[in-house]
This record gives sequence, structure tokens and C-alpha cells, in this order.
Amino acid sequence: MPPTAFTSIGLGHAYGKVAALHSLDLDVPRGRIGLVGANGAGKSTLIKTLLGIIEQTTGTATVLDMDNRRQTISIRSSVGYMPEGPCLPLDQTAADFMVYSAGTAGLPGSAARQRASDVLTLVGLAEERFRYIGDFSTGMKQRTKLAQAIVHDPELVFLDEPTAGLDPSGREEMLDLIGRLGTFGIDVVLSSHVLRDIERTCDWVVMLDEGTLLYSGHIGSTGGDGAVRVEVNGSPDSLVKQLEAADAGVTRDASRLSVTYRHGDVFDLIREAASSTDTSIRRLDDGASSLEDMFLTKGSLR
Amino acid sequence: MTDSQGAVYDLGYVPYDGERLGRSGARRTVFWDGIRRVLGIRRKARRKVLPWALIVIAVIPAVVVVGIGFFVPGEITDAVGVAQSHANFFVLGGTVAMIFTALSAPELLVPDRREGVLSILSSRPLTSTDYLMARLASLVAIVASFLLLPQVVLYVGLAGTHPDGLFRGLVQDAGDLPKILIVTAIYVVAFVPLGFVVASLSNRKAVATIVYIALMIGLTSLAEAIVQNNVFTGGRWVALVAPINTSDAANNFVFGTENPESLLAAANIHPWYGIVALAGFGFVGIAFSVYRYRRLM
Repeated sequence: MPPTAFTSIGLGHAYGKVAALHSLDLDVPRGRIGLVGANGAGKSTLIKTLLGIIEQTTGTATVLDMDNRRQTISIRSSVGYMPEGPCLPLDQTAADFMVYSAGTAGLPGSAARQRASDVLTLVGLAEERFRYIGDFSTGMKQRTKLAQAIVHDPELVFLDEPTAGLDPSGREEMLDLIGRLGTFGIDVVLSSHVLRDIERTCDWVVMLDEGTLLYSGHIGSTGGDGAVRVEVNGSPDSLVKQLEAADAGVTRDASRLSVTYRHGDVFDLIREAASSTDTSIRRLDDGASSLEDMFLTKGSLR
Repeated sequence: MTDSQGAVYDLGYVPYDGERLGRSGARRTVFWDGIRRVLGIRRKARRKVLPWALIVIAVIPAVVVVGIGFFVPGEITDAVGVAQSHANFFVLGGTVAMIFTALSAPELLVPDRREGVLSILSSRPLTSTDYLMARLASLVAIVASFLLLPQVVLYVGLAGTHPDGLFRGLVQDAGDLPKILIVTAIYVVAFVPLGFVVASLSNRKAVATIVYIALMIGLTSLAEAIVQNNVFTGGRWVALVAPINTSDAANNFVFGTENPESLLAAANIHPWYGIVALAGFGFVGIAFSVYRYRRLM
């Protein structure tokens, strides 16, 4: 059997009478895994349940092939966790907190100091490591949170909304950093409500909606058919005629078009057709946006 | 001049394949972090002011007494005796230690909860009880050291005033050492658990400090009022809920010194009952904190 990041059978959790997870059956391979869902979908609850931070009310689960209830301590020795909310001591320097984090993960003192220095350099905080965390910007705090999650070189790291609160450039840098974790031998579970972040970073996706599993599978198999979605302002009639004249395949739903083209670059064709017909394009998406479509489709089928 | 131009190597990410200490290593880390946190070590300067000021306040009287002993030999030992000196210093040091506990317990528990650090710690190879016991061990170690420091200064200092030299003095007063350790343990049991319970409930350090001091003084005043005015039948047993009085009475009992104002004596309760009551309340307090943290981590 291939190694799994986590599995579950009938996994459920309820906060009092409010059910947050409904009987999830999951079998997720190791790699870069995206956990997608709107706020309140149960992403954080699933992570906390897998780590044994909160107890499941039904079902069983494994993380790295270890039972999450009976082998909780072993699991925690092998994984890292970056919580969504504030979790940093404001009156400590980044370096001291990193040494502390490594120590609480079981690393001996000298190794903890070495790892702290290495990891802060890795996340781009080498210069700021002796500054107090309370003086950090949001982006620096997010990097510190990521650093503490990997300071003990875990096999698998759970990142809960790591791009929350970041500006566009900070977001890009964070996603680049997360993308590199795989090359370090660290598997990633990335929780986000931003589908683009998941599409860009992950190769497997678990979709949740109100605690229910919508889909779990390879991102490549989520329906990307090579078609380009076009949405225009006003009537698309002239654009459709122009595209069909160029032997493109066009399916139409009101002002939305789905365009395929076998003889060249479909984007070039659409640009030229729009230009020659004086059509204003409101939205242009390639097949990779199918994750969003799929999320909407699966959600509406429930 | 050398031919070497130097080179910069990007070592990239280096995986860790060394020793992992697991749960015991995690507990040790939390313990030592607690010690550093209370003393303000590797924290901003203002975090160091209060703990170190209290340590100085606790030690200065012992230094003064020892100084008097050096300049006027026999003045202290002849007037009150070494044992009485130790007992007196526990009463004096106990008050400062209570304030020290009031500041230290919240420092150990409140920030981790308030700043969300618990959410990281709860993903580490550490149970909530491990965390809490490590923090408790930090508090016990630091409060015990705080109580012992002036006693050690007094013991060594007064031994130094012995006419036959320091070593002779150390040997002569060595019988006081076990008593010093026992009384230290009694004060720790009297002060620490309540501070721990209050700190586990409050989200603000200042509030926890104030509530703790108010409870310690309030319980003492309440017990005194009930016992001395004989408010109801069996009311004398309320004397046991006053940790300051009980620890002071136990201190005098262990050192065999006089304390005519002892509330336990007024209530006609043997100090042993006081020691057992302190241990009982302490156990209940710690058990409550463990229960509370099981719901948080």
C-alpha cells in the first residue's frame, strides 16, 4: 500500500450539539494536499481532530499511518502545525521562540539552536531573528509561524490558512515557500478558502462544505478539459461567429463561452477575435480554474 | 595576499536526523522556559525589574543581619538564636515570597493562553498535564529558591561569625538545614497552588496578581475574624483555610520557636493539622488546574 498522509473512516466531530464534521471517509496520499472550503467548512476542525487536539465524536483516523487517538504523541513528534490565529509570544525574539519551539518538539538544546538559525534563514528572517515578535509585521509573523511548524524537520506539516492577512507580494512569497517544502522532504496539508492558492501549490485536494466531504482526489482530475472560459460584457454573438469562423469549438451559456481550439494558441485566437469584433472581455479563465467550478458544482449538487 | 577569493555556499535545507528526546525533552524545555520567563531572562528589560527587585528585597535583610553579626559578634546569635533567626526570616521572606508568587504564577500561564501559544504547544509531543506539571515545577523551583536564598545567606553568614571560624559554624548549625528545607516546602505548598489556580482562570496577569493577593489576605482576615469572635460552633477549624497563618505556625512548630499570635494556637489546632490542610488544598487546586487545561489543550 502506498504511504498515506491521513485517512479516516466515519470521522465526525461536534461542538456540543453543532456538528462540525459529518462522518468523513478519507484516504489521502502523501504529497502536497489542499484542504478547501469556505469559512466554517470544518477545515480547522479536521486538522485539530487529526492531531488529537480535539477529540473526534465518531469514527477513526490515522496520520502517517498512526492512530490519532492511541499514538497521538508519536504523531505530534512527526508533524508540524501552523495554526490559523495568533499563536506567537510577543515578548520573545524570533530566535528564542524558535529554539523553544524546537525544544518542545523534542530536539536537544544544541540541535534546537542550530535548527532555529537554519529555519529562520530559510523563511527570510535571518536579519530579524533577534527582534521581538511583537514588533513584527503580519508577513513576518506568518513566516515565524511557518518556521516554528518546520523547525523540527517534520515529515508532514499542517498549515492552516498560511496566507491569511498577507498582501499580494507577501502571499506570493509564502506560497513559494510552501511550494519548496516538498523539495525538503516535507509533505504539506495546506488549508485555505482561496482556491487559487491550492491550485498553485497542491497536487491533491480535499473539498469540504459544512463539515461534509465534497471531493477528495487529484487536482489534475478535477475536470480541466483544456477549454478556456470567456465572459464578455454585452452580447457575445459577434465574437462567437468570429471564433467559429476560425474553426474553434464554442459552447455558450448566456454571455459565458467555453472555447477550444486545435490549430494554435486559444488565448491568441480569443484576443484577436475580441479585438476585431470590438468585444469587451470581463473574464478569461483557463482549465485550471476548474477547481472553483468543481467546488461550485459539487456544492450545488448536495 | 592569497589566491583565495572566498566562496559563498547555499547549503539549502538540511534535514535533521539527530536525536529526538520526545516527551521528556518537551517537558524539560517548558520547565526551563518557565524559569527564564519568571526571571525575565531573554526578555525586555522592564520584564526583569520586578522579579529581581523582589529578590534583592528578600536578600537585603539577611545581608544586613549578617553584617551586624560581623561587626558586633554575638549580637544576633546571643539575642535571638540562629533557629529563631531562620524562623523570623521565613515569616519576613514569606510575605515577599507571596508577592513573588503573585507575579510569577500569571507570568507562567496567562501569556501562553492569551497569545495563543497553547495552540502550538498542543500540537507538540506534550499532553496538557505534561505542560501544566512542567510549569508547576518551574513555579515550585523558583519560589523555593526565592525562599531559600536569604536562608542560605543567613546560614553561611552567621556561620562566618562563629568565633572558631566558618567551617565550625557551618557544622554547628547544620541541624537547621533539614528544618529550612521542610519549612521551605511548607511555604511553597501554602503559596503556589492557589496562585496556579487563579492564574489558570484569569486572562490578565495584573488581575490574577491582584485576585491572588486579595484571596491570601482575605482568607487570613476572614479566618481571624471567625476564630477570634467564635462566630459559630466549630468555627475554629476555619483557621485552616488561612494559608499565611498556617504556614507561619508550621514554621514556628518546625523550628521549635515561639509564636504567641498564631491563629492555629488561638484555635487550639495542632500545626500538623495545618500542614495536612495545606497539602489537601494544594492537591485540590492542582487537580482543578489539570482539569481546566484538559479542556484547553
